[in-house]
Amino acid sequence: MTTNDDSQNELHPNAPVPEPLDEASPSERARAKAFADIVDKAITGRAPAVMSADDRALLEVATVIRAANGQAELSATAQRSIVEDALRQAIGDSIANTSGQLGVIPIGSARKKWVPWALTGASTAIAAAAMLVLWLRAPETRVVHETTAQTPTSWTSRPADPLIGPIARENAGDASARIDYLFADRLEGYRDRRLSGRSGGKKR
Amino acid sequence: MKSTTVIGVLIGAILLASAMFIAGRASAPGEHITNDVTKVADASDVIDESLMMALAQAKNFHRKAKVYMSDGKLDEAAAAVRQILSLAFPKGAPEADDVRLDARALLAKLLVLQGKLDEAMRTVDEGLASSQRESFFTANLYTVRGEIQEARAANYDAEGEPSKGLAAASRRSAIESYDKSIQINEKLQKQLMENR
Repeated sequence: MTTNDDSQNELHPNAPVPEPLDEASPSERARAKAFADIVDKAITGRAPAVMSADDRALLEVATVIRAANGQAELSATAQRSIVEDALRQAIGDSIANTSGQLGVIPIGSARKKWVPWALTGASTAIAAAAMLVLWLRAPETRVVHETTAQTPTSWTSRPADPLIGPIARENAGDASARIDYLFADRLEGYRDRRLSGRSGGKKR
Repeated sequence: MKSTTVIGVLIGAILLASAMFIAGRASAPGEHITNDVTKVADASDVIDESLMMALAQAKNFHRKAKVYMSDGKLDEAAAAVRQILSLAFPKGAPEADDVRLDARALLAKLLVLQGKLDEAMRTVDEGLASSQRESFFTANLYTVRGEIQEARAANYDAEGEPSKGLAAASRRSAIESYDKSIQINEKLQKQLMENR
């Protein structure tokens, strides 16, 4: 008879490894049958919630072996969830905690509709702030020193009265002397202006 | 990209562009910023080459007339003086008015010497009519006008009793011309004294 102690002894890491051609013991058969039931339930999606750590490790190995043989298929829900994750990743969204969920999240609801409005709002806020700053900013005050250089009188064309003065009756016809005086005076101003290097007004 | 995103980005871009445009306008020169400048008075009446050329020509014609007068050639002298009246001076030059009025005064005296009193009077009156302002040259022209009136009165006196009334009228006109000349001279002298 095989007892629990026997089975524990067989499962013990330090227990002797049976030869490959040795016939399975009853305890081994019982354990194999129990594990086969667990695998069957796992394949049909009815994996027991509670199992030993050894059974869980063996079940994962069995699942990997079965998937490697091409016999494992994802459920329709899982497939949709994976596709959703891929699409969400394509549009820049996070894929965290979605593949494990059974419910499908529609792509339309996953998109962030607030992005364009956030852009618009931020731009508007910046523009409004700029306008406000410009509106409230005190205008720059600069003292203007405007120096006006008067054109010397001697450079200008002007009446000859101050130069000639009142004309006595006895000199009424002495225009020749007056034109000589006027010409000499204007020539002096003309030379002064030309030799000074300043234009001083505009030419007629 | 969805249409709402495009619209949002476009609206934001437009608002930002508007803000930048306003900022550029606010800091544009000419609104608040002014430069220190040194201005030269806008004298549109500086002595230029054309004025000096006209004065030189007038001077030469006067010299030429003086030579003719010294030689007793009054017609040639008058012709030389008439050339001054047709000289091209710069537009608006005050010297032009003075030089032409002075030339008319000399021309009128030459005509008086030649006994051409009516032509002399016409020369003077044309000058007074074209004068732009009162000047010592205007006053001098009134003086010459008085001399012409005196010469007329003398001619009427020479005609005898029938022309005594005309002679008296000419003398009154001569006095009026002299008075006008004195009035202008006094006014201008007063102005010159005030401006000193």
